[in-house]
Amino acid sequence: MFQNYLKIALRNLLKQKGLTAINVLGLSIGLACFSLFMLYAVNEFSYDRFHDKGDRTFRVLRWWEAGFAGRDEAGGDSYLPMPLGPALKTDFPDVEQFVRLREAWGENFVRANGEVSRAGVQFADPSFFEVFSFKIKYGSPSAALKDRYNVVLTEKMAQRLFGESNPTGKTLEIKLEDKFEPYTVAAVAENPPPNSTIQFDILGNFERLYTTKFGEGSLNNWNRSSLQTYVLLRPGSGLADNSKQLLGFYQKYYPDQKAALQKEGSWKGEGAPCSFRLQPLREMHAGMETWGENAAEVDPTGIWTLLAIAAGVLLIACINFTTLSIGRSAGRAKEVGVRKVIGGGRGQLVRQFLTESLLLSALSAVIGLAMAQALMPAFNEMADRTLSFSLRLYPEIGWLAVGLTLLVGLLAGSYPALVLSGFKPVEILKSKVRLGGANFFTKSLVTTQFVLSIGLAAATLIIVQQLHFMRSQNPGFQRENVVVVDASDTDSEKIYPRFRQLALQQPQVMGVASAELGLGEGTGWSQSGWAYQGKQKNVYEYFVDNHYMDVLGMQLLAGRNFDPKFATDTINSIIVNEAFLKDFGWTAETALGQKLEGYYEGSEKPLPVVVGVVKDFNFRPFKEEVKPQLFHQFSDYAPFKFFVRLQPGDPAPALAALKLAWASAESELPFKYSFLDENLDRFYESEARFSNIIGWAGGISIFLACLGLFGLAALAAANRTKEIGIRKVLGASLGGIVGLLSKDFLRLVALAILIAAPLAWYFMQKWLDDFAYRIELHWWQFLAAGAGAVAVAFLTVSFQSVKAALANPVESLRSE
Amino acid sequence: MITLKNIERFYNTGLNKSWVLKNISFNLKKGEFLTIMGPSGSGKSTLLNIIGMLDKPDTGEYYFLDEPVHTFSEKRRTELHKHTIGFVFQAYHLIDELTVYENIEMPLLYRGVGKSERQSMVADLLDRFNIVGKKGLFPAQLSGGQQQLVGIARAIVGKPKLLLADEPTGNLHTSQGEMIMGLLKELHGEGMTIIQVTHNEKFAAYGTRVMQIEDGFVRMDTTT
Ligand SMILES: Nc1ncnc2c1ncn2[C@@H]1O[C@H](COP(=O)(O)OP(=O)(O)OP(=O)(O)O)[C@@H](O)[C@H]1O
Ligand SMILES: [Mg+2]
Repeated sequence: MFQNYLKIALRNLLKQKGLTAINVLGLSIGLACFSLFMLYAVNEFSYDRFHDKGDRTFRVLRWWEAGFAGRDEAGGDSYLPMPLGPALKTDFPDVEQFVRLREAWGENFVRANGEVSRAGVQFADPSFFEVFSFKIKYGSPSAALKDRYNVVLTEKMAQRLFGESNPTGKTLEIKLEDKFEPYTVAAVAENPPPNSTIQFDILGNFERLYTTKFGEGSLNNWNRSSLQTYVLLRPGSGLADNSKQLLGFYQKYYPDQKAALQKEGSWKGEGAPCSFRLQPLREMHAGMETWGENAAEVDPTGIWTLLAIAAGVLLIACINFTTLSIGRSAGRAKEVGVRKVIGGGRGQLVRQFLTESLLLSALSAVIGLAMAQALMPAFNEMADRTLSFSLRLYPEIGWLAVGLTLLVGLLAGSYPALVLSGFKPVEILKSKVRLGGANFFTKSLVTTQFVLSIGLAAATLIIVQQLHFMRSQNPGFQRENVVVVDASDTDSEKIYPRFRQLALQQPQVMGVASAELGLGEGTGWSQSGWAYQGKQKNVYEYFVDNHYMDVLGMQLLAGRNFDPKFATDTINSIIVNEAFLKDFGWTAETALGQKLEGYYEGSEKPLPVVVGVVKDFNFRPFKEEVKPQLFHQFSDYAPFKFFVRLQPGDPAPALAALKLAWASAESELPFKYSFLDENLDRFYESEARFSNIIGWAGGISIFLACLGLFGLAALAAANRTKEIGIRKVLGASLGGIVGLLSKDFLRLVALAILIAAPLAWYFMQKWLDDFAYRIELHWWQFLAAGAGAVAVAFLTVSFQSVKAALANPVESLRSE
Repeated sequence: MITLKNIERFYNTGLNKSWVLKNISFNLKKGEFLTIMGPSGSGKSTLLNIIGMLDKPDTGEYYFLDEPVHTFSEKRRTELHKHTIGFVFQAYHLIDELTVYENIEMPLLYRGVGKSERQSMVADLLDRFNIVGKKGLFPAQLSGGQQQLVGIARAIVGKPKLLLADEPTGNLHTSQGEMIMGLLKELHGEGMTIIQVTHNEKFAAYGTRVMQIEDGFVRMDTTT
């Protein structure tokens, strides 16, 4: 029987080539889209699941309760002190092993085969390969980090530094705290899978850090928190859920913290403000629970939003199948009648029609997967991932694909199957019933399609505008034509004066300044907090030189800039911004001469004194309000970023000159630079990605909706051939007939605009609420999206209606 | 075999009812070949549909092999119809997407007949109707008479107890019509109970009994 269904399904698909093409094209695009997003979601949710001991491995978090320092929500922080790991192991018999991990702080210089380059170096306890399941390609896991001067390279890094050959046993020099030292490559690891939170290029032995300046200051220090700590619990241990034990442990090492916080006013609650928690490994990336801002990399609602959008696109394609099948029901009715008369039951007919839709969806799935495969590189770039349809990495995608195909077939096919199989043979065979018109249900479906696609189009328009707004808005300083030279981990104090002198000889260079930190995404920031007159203050701190204001074009509102004439400037002079004034309750006039009381808790250092006030500028993304900021020139900091302002125009010659200037100031280490405006634009990468994705989804859904409309219009025209013929014979004009055929559809699109506009308004208002600096919503944005949709829909429909209207009436009437 | 008692069928047109069938009562014995005649719109097809269990009388009783069909649920009626009745139409109503062979095989599939049995049953009929050479063709590739042959083959392949034919020759030339009627007569000769509707006096004579219907009433019922 099934064979028979399949045979008929195939013949029907072949007979109606146009419709089949529309359906297959639509469904494959929908499926391609959805499978890419599904892969994305599967990848996000599969993070860190590949560790064999993953179910008993945890990351330690310092957990701050809601209410601490005026925060609304509780949250975890994964940066923890160095003695924590060993303490956990000694205090809890349940802790089988711990791994401390120091992430790469920027890039270190490494020298291999006599060539120096930059690379990130991380340090982990030797137990790393015992606790985690990263695979070793050359060497053995137990010997990988045995010696303090052992390093493990990933395959990728090994190839970059040493080429194809096996580099184990070779020597690699790493510059750590001022000097190059030789390390031995003890093992080469396979590249960490893309769905691993822990990523590394070069992994050193954590114990190596003990004898560094950093390590000496951290070894027994519970107040320096910059390391991640993982623990492997014994099988069956309940420690992760035992908050009482963990709190006891916390209070053992921080006995006075609660009292101190209460005294400074940042904790008013009864209970403990802070404790340790154990976060399961697989919740590090997109934990469904809230683990706080630093503790989960990705907000799962974002993933679900994307998946929902992709499901919407797929739904539009499914709706096409449904409405087109209903639209063609006239052509199938006779067959249904006959089948029933010769003994076909309704169930058998339903199965037959479902076979058709399932066949179609299977065909579309094959084509869709091929499309998705072809689009993978573009999608990866858009989503910033390295995804692939790998059954090894994601074993679940096999049954997901089969399930999706079945679901799509059933979703698209069940309504037509029910309607068609419900026809009464007596009525059909007498051809008394008028068939093939769109009923209320199919009209609602078409409207739904356009609601979705118009909504997405409006959302895209608004997101793009907000993005453009943030990128083009004047941040309060001149962001264009500034080259930022990266001098981190170099002897920058020595390099800078020479570099500056040489750079300034170039006519294209208008000014050179230096600072500890750059501006923009990924260039770091530093915050300091202290109790000022009993109130907790948190401000952004920037170490700069006296040229910084000029080079960036910042505006001084009161007081003065730093000046070498004042010896105090490198000791305790500071310049603050307007937000700082507001936070401290000063005005531009009263601020000058104010001292930052409490800044050096328990130290005799001279307190910082305000000597100048600058106008606020957006040094953080436009998403955020301008925060209190202070600039200083204290002598114990180093200038790691050089800011070079160029004349507008082609930067290439100036860059070449800067490279030479660098080379003469620092003979060995390579020159690395970026442009300030690009660094700042990177703040908006996720928004740009989001707008890209929404834009594509919107475009595709409009295309799919119109594809369906195209087919429906063709069917409507075919169903009304005779009527059109008669009207023409009676003298109807071309315009009249086109109007007659188009108006039904356009009415649906107009209705869709009315429904989509308030929905899009609501959601976009919510989205924009996240931005401190944002555009306002205007009615014309929705009108534009709607008008676009109407125009495209009208073009689609009128193509068919003009064709029908131009047909020779004699022919259409004779054929009856 | 069939007993109809006071069968009525009407439609509500606006305020008043319009009767299509009124007070129809008769018996049909196994092996009879009944011809129903009457002007257009007199209710012949409606009656045939009721007898064929595709339609339901509004009032009255209908016994098929002593089973009270008028009390059956739609599902049970369909089930009974499927196993006992074969239908032949004026417009043939073959399924365009299926070949001759597949069209004839279809009722057997719906009845769940096994593969080898199906093959031999269909092959028998193809052979008997002399259309073995056409079994791979689609309906559109056949003449009207050939299509109706397939229609009859499809109607009787499941060995129905009753064969209903609504103007089986209505769309055919006289010679083709005669061929079809000859076939029906032959089937009758083999013991098949048949009811046909026709406008053709000559074809009416192939049957053993003629019934005249007018305005929903039985005007005349003569057995030869
Ligand atoms: N749904 C309906 N509503 C109202 N009247 C109907 C409906 N269906 C059928 N009729 C009426 O029932 C009557 C009988 O129709 P039927 O098809 O049985 O006639 P017939 O004798 O087979 O005619 P013909 O010889 O033309 O085939 C007709 O007058 C028709 O108008
Ligand atoms: Mg009739």
